[in-house]
Amino acid sequence: MFRFTTGERAELYGAILQAFGEANERLETALGLDEVRARLRSAGWLDDIHDDDLQDALRQLRTWELLDVVQNHAENYRTAEEYERRNLQYSLTRRGEAAIAAVEQALSVLAATGALQTAVLEAVADRLNELYVLLGEAGSSDRRVFSTLQELESHLEALLANTKTFNGELQRLLRAEGADLATFREVKAATVAYLQEFLRNLDRRAQAVASAVQRVEQRGVFLLHERALRGAELPPVAGADPAPAWLERRRARWDGLRAWFLPTDGSRPRVEQLHDVARRAIVTLLQVLDRITESRRRSSSAAQDFRELARWFAAAPTEDDLHRLWSAAFGLGSARHAHLAHPDPELVPSSQRWAEAPPVEVSALLRTSGRTERFTRTGKVRDVGGIKAARAELARKERAELEAAWDVLGTGDPVRLSAFGRLDHAVFERLLDLLGRALAARPDGGGVRRAVTSDGRVEIVLRAGDAGRAVLRTSRGQLEAPDYLVEISVPGGGRAGVRSGVRDGAEAE
Amino acid sequence: MSTLANQLVLAEREDVSRGVRLLLGRPLITERADRSTFELIRRRQGPLTKWFDYHCGWQLVVEPRLGYARLLKIRTGPDASRPARRPRSGKAPFDRRRYTLLCVVAAELLPVPVTTVGLLADRVVQACATDEALPRFDTASKSERMALVDVLKVLESFGALLTMDGVTENFVDSAQAKVLYRVDATLLMRLLAAPVGPSRLAVPAEELPRRFTELLPELVRESRYGGADASEVQHNLRLRHSVLRRLFDDPVLHHDELSADELAYLTSPTGRQIVRRAAEQGGFVLEERADGLMAVDPDGIATDSRFPDDSSSARIAALLLLDPLTAAPGGLTPEQLTAEADDLLRRFPQWAKSYQSQDGAQRLAGDAVRVLTDFGLADRTTGRTVARPAACRYRVALAAGSTP
Repeated sequence: MFRFTTGERAELYGAILQAFGEANERLETALGLDEVRARLRSAGWLDDIHDDDLQDALRQLRTWELLDVVQNHAENYRTAEEYERRNLQYSLTRRGEAAIAAVEQALSVLAATGALQTAVLEAVADRLNELYVLLGEAGSSDRRVFSTLQELESHLEALLANTKTFNGELQRLLRAEGADLATFREVKAATVAYLQEFLRNLDRRAQAVASAVQRVEQRGVFLLHERALRGAELPPVAGADPAPAWLERRRARWDGLRAWFLPTDGSRPRVEQLHDVARRAIVTLLQVLDRITESRRRSSSAAQDFRELARWFAAAPTEDDLHRLWSAAFGLGSARHAHLAHPDPELVPSSQRWAEAPPVEVSALLRTSGRTERFTRTGKVRDVGGIKAARAELARKERAELEAAWDVLGTGDPVRLSAFGRLDHAVFERLLDLLGRALAARPDGGGVRRAVTSDGRVEIVLRAGDAGRAVLRTSRGQLEAPDYLVEISVPGGGRAGVRSGVRDGAEAE
Repeated sequence: MSTLANQLVLAEREDVSRGVRLLLGRPLITERADRSTFELIRRRQGPLTKWFDYHCGWQLVVEPRLGYARLLKIRTGPDASRPARRPRSGKAPFDRRRYTLLCVVAAELLPVPVTTVGLLADRVVQACATDEALPRFDTASKSERMALVDVLKVLESFGALLTMDGVTENFVDSAQAKVLYRVDATLLMRLLAAPVGPSRLAVPAEELPRRFTELLPELVRESRYGGADASEVQHNLRLRHSVLRRLFDDPVLHHDELSADELAYLTSPTGRQIVRRAAEQGGFVLEERADGLMAVDPDGIATDSRFPDDSSSARIAALLLLDPLTAAPGGLTPEQLTAEADDLLRRFPQWAKSYQSQDGAQRLAGDAVRVLTDFGLADRTTGRTVARPAACRYRVALAAGSTP
């Protein structure tokens, strides 16, 4: 049915149909070829068009069943051309009429600007009051009842349609597609003002409508519809009696009215949803406006900085500039360094150039095979002075002893001091050192003392235990002390084996 | 007890050198992502802060309660070799869309403590729509959602965004995905390291492209070095920081890249001493040559990538291309490099599968040269690729003896 709206010749088809539509309004139901041509101009088709093309177009519209051909056999024609020109009369089919109506409707929706007119609400209330009066007077004419009811319904329809378009318009506005900030601001500010005004009056008017509905219902809706039916003087239709269907439609409309202003089931009237929509729209619009104003006012807050940076990124000339900007603004990039060094860097004098100095040792496999192969780091050269090595060895040993001591002492969870039982003397010294530090610290509110070693790596937490005494033995003697609850935390958590060893010992005792 | 004291000093020194390099490699370390590293930095906060402040003039912020350590790196000459990367397997660098979105998202996250991916996307749509300098953001397009997800995941990796429910990735498939986030606003603010806030420069949007090159130096200008009337102290401070920043952040520091007074500082006895001490404390092996300096990190922890390395074909090719490059003092043209790469591909037909195609040699040469320039070993000038002096340290060891 709407095929004529697309394609190359859509405009011509549209113009032709419009010509027929206009003719229809003047009650000319059939047009000949020349009449169509004459009316095309008024339908907005200004180009010249050849007869054949026009015929083609009309034929096409016929195959789409939008036009019908009426023939007049009463006259005599000399040529086929004349026959076509004067005999064939085209008229719109029902489908054609519907198509025109639909297109017009679509255009009007597109052109419509949504507005919530409070005046419509007033008109609805007025008509209802009028109905109330009419129903109250015994002598009033059914015809008046009918026409008033129809007015009421058309106002109601207008209200629904307007709300729909207004809502759509609002959503479009909220989507914030306005590129021109100045008009954007203006339009939105005006909308906000309008909405506020609208809200102020909405309550009162909705209330007026609701009470008018109630009043009419006191007189009886059924009666109202019956009288309107009589006033309508429905034309007879073939088949069934049109009255029940008509009445049914009226009742549905009345239910719609109630749903809007006075729902029977006690739910919220739909007119209040208008409230919500409008209020939400005001809030959102104000937020958007705020954002615009805020973006104009330059403050150096972090959010502003990020926004500004976004603009810079959007405007950076080249891709490398993007990365440079990232590096400058965020400084989150990693350092980058070579990892291959000379085995003994001090052997190469610093006065040499790189070209003269010996190269670093790169895995031969990597270079020669070109295949992916794990290569190891260059081996450490065991070197120069034996003394240096010995010292390093000694240092390592001491270090290892220390580590071992911490491993033994690391408890993880709190244990009793007595749980340590028998200890190696070196380890015992470490423990004593830690205890000394902890006891030197001032206890906090819960009587808990905390201390760390001077390197900060090991932490001890000391809590008073029950009144028991702990005895620690080493190869050189024994220590008796209150049985504190001790918690020693070592980086890496100590090794579980050693720790459980301590506990096992405690259980054995 | 004296041995204990010695051991403590030793342990501290080791910790500090590790901490320095860890922070250089990752300027933002969160407790959540890497507990042990964070512990180490928290424990050695004092000496680490001092090291960075004295040598590089970089502020180290450690927040034990909030659980993050942030080294506010300021680079004197920002380069393009270390972009933000997409948190996916390809690790492709961020594009314009993602960088822009990252900033918009960060700005939108700041005022809200908790949000969902849908609400956030709506805010981003609005923010983009009301700012004429930004392109529109459209959640209906999958590629746009993908970009947003990349950005969110990067923020998650920084710890600025915590996923409390749902999976960010789901947003790629559906804009209806439900993901709940908590925003760490302080960390978010700490992401910006530039000493001058971009919004303070107040450049009108339409002048941005034209004035872009002058913006970056403005962004990293530090007032403590003074301007044209800098005092002697400020001047020395600037020299020390600018030289050491480059030494510890860049792979190579060639003398010819320094200004006259920077070079004078570096070669002066004081300068040398400071550089050596800094490298030692940082656990670097300092390689001093007549034509430049290099801080080598033998453990490879202060770096985002390694060279020479076998982790990609381009890196292996880069190592092999160094030979012809160092042999040609005038450098090589792209065509010559392509020929060399072609030669490699033919010699090892089983290797570098992804490059064994029509324009494979050209791509391989391009990628390899990129590796070399990123490591400061080559330079592209006037269309030719020229080896930098430091490239010679990767020569074939036998070359000097075997070829006349």
